[in-house]
Amino acid sequence: MLNKFLKSKIKTAKSLVKDLRKTYDYVSILGSHVLTKRISVGTANTSIDEIEGECGFVIKVYRDGRYSEYSCDDISDLKANDVIKALTLKDAFTSEFNVKMLEEKEHVEDYLREDKDDISNDEIVKRLTEIKDTMHKNAKVINTNCAYVKRQVSKIFVSEKKCLTQKYDWINAMLIVVTRDKDNIKTNYHAEGEASSLKALNLLKKNSSNVLDIAVRLLDAKPIKPGKYTIITDPSISGLIAHEAFGHGVEMDMFVKNRAKAKDYIGKYVASPIVDMYDGAAGVISSASYFFDDDGIEASKTQIIKKGILQTGISDSLSALTLGTKPTGNGRRESYKRKVYTRMTNTYFGKGKDKLDDMIKSVKHGYFLFQTNNGMEDPKNWQIQCTASYGLEIKDGKFTGKIVTPVVISGYVVDLLSSISMVSDSVKVIGSGMCGKGHKEWVYVSDGGPYLKAEAKLG
Amino acid sequence: MKTQDILKCLKANKNLSAYQLIENEKDSRELFYVLDHLEINRAVKTTTTIIVVYVNHQDYTGSSTITVTSGDDEKSLNKKIKDAIVKAKAVKNAYYPALPEIKENIVDKNQDKYDLNSIANNVAKAVFKANKYDSGWLNSTEIFVSTIRTKFFDSNNVKHDVRKFNISVEVIPTWANSKEEIELYKWYETSDINYSEITKEIDELLLNAKDRSEAKKLKDVKLPKDLKVLVKNDMLDLILDTFAEDINLRSVFYKQNHYNKNDLVSDNKLSLTLKPVVKGCSASSKIDNNGMVLKNTKIISDGKVKKLWGDNRFAYYLKQDPTGNIPVKELDGERFDYSKDKHLIIENFSSPQLDEASGYWGGEVRLAKYFDGKKYIPLTSFSISGNIYEDFKNVKLSKEEVKHPSYKGPKYLIFEGVKIH
Repeated sequence: MLNKFLKSKIKTAKSLVKDLRKTYDYVSILGSHVLTKRISVGTANTSIDEIEGECGFVIKVYRDGRYSEYSCDDISDLKANDVIKALTLKDAFTSEFNVKMLEEKEHVEDYLREDKDDISNDEIVKRLTEIKDTMHKNAKVINTNCAYVKRQVSKIFVSEKKCLTQKYDWINAMLIVVTRDKDNIKTNYHAEGEASSLKALNLLKKNSSNVLDIAVRLLDAKPIKPGKYTIITDPSISGLIAHEAFGHGVEMDMFVKNRAKAKDYIGKYVASPIVDMYDGAAGVISSASYFFDDDGIEASKTQIIKKGILQTGISDSLSALTLGTKPTGNGRRESYKRKVYTRMTNTYFGKGKDKLDDMIKSVKHGYFLFQTNNGMEDPKNWQIQCTASYGLEIKDGKFTGKIVTPVVISGYVVDLLSSISMVSDSVKVIGSGMCGKGHKEWVYVSDGGPYLKAEAKLG
Repeated sequence: MKTQDILKCLKANKNLSAYQLIENEKDSRELFYVLDHLEINRAVKTTTTIIVVYVNHQDYTGSSTITVTSGDDEKSLNKKIKDAIVKAKAVKNAYYPALPEIKENIVDKNQDKYDLNSIANNVAKAVFKANKYDSGWLNSTEIFVSTIRTKFFDSNNVKHDVRKFNISVEVIPTWANSKEEIELYKWYETSDINYSEITKEIDELLLNAKDRSEAKKLKDVKLPKDLKVLVKNDMLDLILDTFAEDINLRSVFYKQNHYNKNDLVSDNKLSLTLKPVVKGCSASSKIDNNGMVLKNTKIISDGKVKKLWGDNRFAYYLKQDPTGNIPVKELDGERFDYSKDKHLIIENFSSPQLDEASGYWGGEVRLAKYFDGKKYIPLTSFSISGNIYEDFKNVKLSKEEVKHPSYKGPKYLIFEGVKIH
């Protein structure tokens, strides 16, 4: 159910919109409430916390060619004059600039997607403790942390023409295992993201033995010899490449600022002809699957790359307005305290026709890369850096047993995507990540795809 | 809810062993520019209220954290506290004293009233004063000016009231050469109002963007073996954070540390001191999240670990004195003049990498400057890598001084033997 506090403020929001419309040409109010339950069971620490990380409002107004926003905890006693006073700038440093005003259509709707398998705290602690204890049966394990996080998001969006509400849940279950052999310390992790608590916890248990196995094997891992190799990426690394290559690269607020090279490549080849790529809150059910964005725009699915050709970007409503395009429902805020930007949601490559076994057999010398560590994009100059936690060596189509860590993929985005020669026939989207814009503005995202075979510079 | 009403609810509950209440009041003004057009201005007035409830049961200390929101009243808060006590009783962490011993209350006398809109506008003027080049410009600028008031209370009657002021600027400078446009990224943060310093920082960044536009690829330049590699800014922070965290009591307790007391970290007889407050360092804070009143603490001296540091809980487990979580690192030691030697300054990484477990460090370089003995040659699109625990043994410190949000000390760390590829 929608959070009661937000529900009780819809009438107040409507009244405040009416009052502020006497001064401003456009007014909208977004109310946001996020309740996060986090249960963590570690080697020497347990915690059970329930935190309302967000509970507040942001009021967006437009006048004289400029938008202004006011973020606050409550609108109950807020007067229109308080908002006007805080947002009025005297002699603001700016050159002349006229942003257009947002036009809206009538839209009233309530949306709901909830966890149907809620589990008691005691049961969650029991399940996490079982996994932790199993990890510690191995003498090389020095530390384990096993966590369950459930986010319950409620939002309301009120303007003259819109009154929208949504409530959705997302559950992550995570495991971190630290191993040690003398001074050699290694870490491995695994995260599941699901719309059901039961499913997330079951999957974590199922995958925990592999997490342990790799954590122990990593003690024998060596750094990779820098060079150019054939790679096969697991869905998490495929997703990381999608995210960094043409996720950030097609955020259309970057087009407005002329910060994205992609703007000049719409309709041109940017990848191998066997590559398709998508983004959208409505594309799949994952961690960034909402019903409407923080501009009150309905979620959608955008095909970014079709058969290797760049199709379009993703946008928040203001960027779309400036560029004369249709908003794609990608306007997101870190919280009600922050500005809205164009942001990715669920970003993934489409499936191909190849079998994974055939892909492995076709590698003469290269690495199978696993597990996202981190990544960084450069939308203006199309340099990319993606770090995989580890890689398994393949020679003449067979695993050699050698493991390397970490593995940094770097290079020119188009070179990397154009080198994709095989795409597997199934897709996995992993809903456990977060993404920043620059080095801030963190939002929940998912990414993924099939297994990809490509050529890349590794270091 | 008013603070006093929240405290009343906490004091009335006899089933908890201890509590902490932390309130952060933030007042912020923000300006967002596309080129030099003000696209949007924002005002933020919010309060975040966090309560940590502790329950000692059998040989355990349990805790649970809750938040108080604008939707709460006395009835709903009492229910939250009651539920938190149930959760804390289910938490079976080995006993530790929930609250650190705090002998003084910190109340900031600085009650300065800041005209945040006016300061933000002046920061904008200072930023765009540097925007004076024909081929280079600021493509995107975000300015944040804020005050934060933190009030801390605990069940031992500790009452702190501290205030902070912060200016942050995010800029994307762009430079165009005959073939293409290139850009860089910078996050600048300070607690000083010094407009001329802001102009200087932005100007330096624009000139770095110019260098990147003229940068050569690694294959076009022959680098000597054993070249000195200088790192700064976020990579320098990352390296020092890694060493400080390694000898944090939490890491030691979990056996994830590479070093212990008296171990040699570096042959260079450098020192690393944690300081609560350094003028100009915006992370400065007189107290930590447990309300501990922080003091200067030297953790590395003459290149060796002098003191393990950390919070109340892990200090108790390891029978050490707690220092609290101290925010600013000050590095000192013998300085080295690199200016006449051939060297490579890494100006910008795509994203600096450091794996604290294995010690791997490096990343893809967006801009570096190679000094060939006569002149600087800008380089781009290559990577460096190494093992920080090995490379730090022979680290040298530059003569130039800088301040970052949580660092004061040499501008560059100077390494030898780092792989360039």
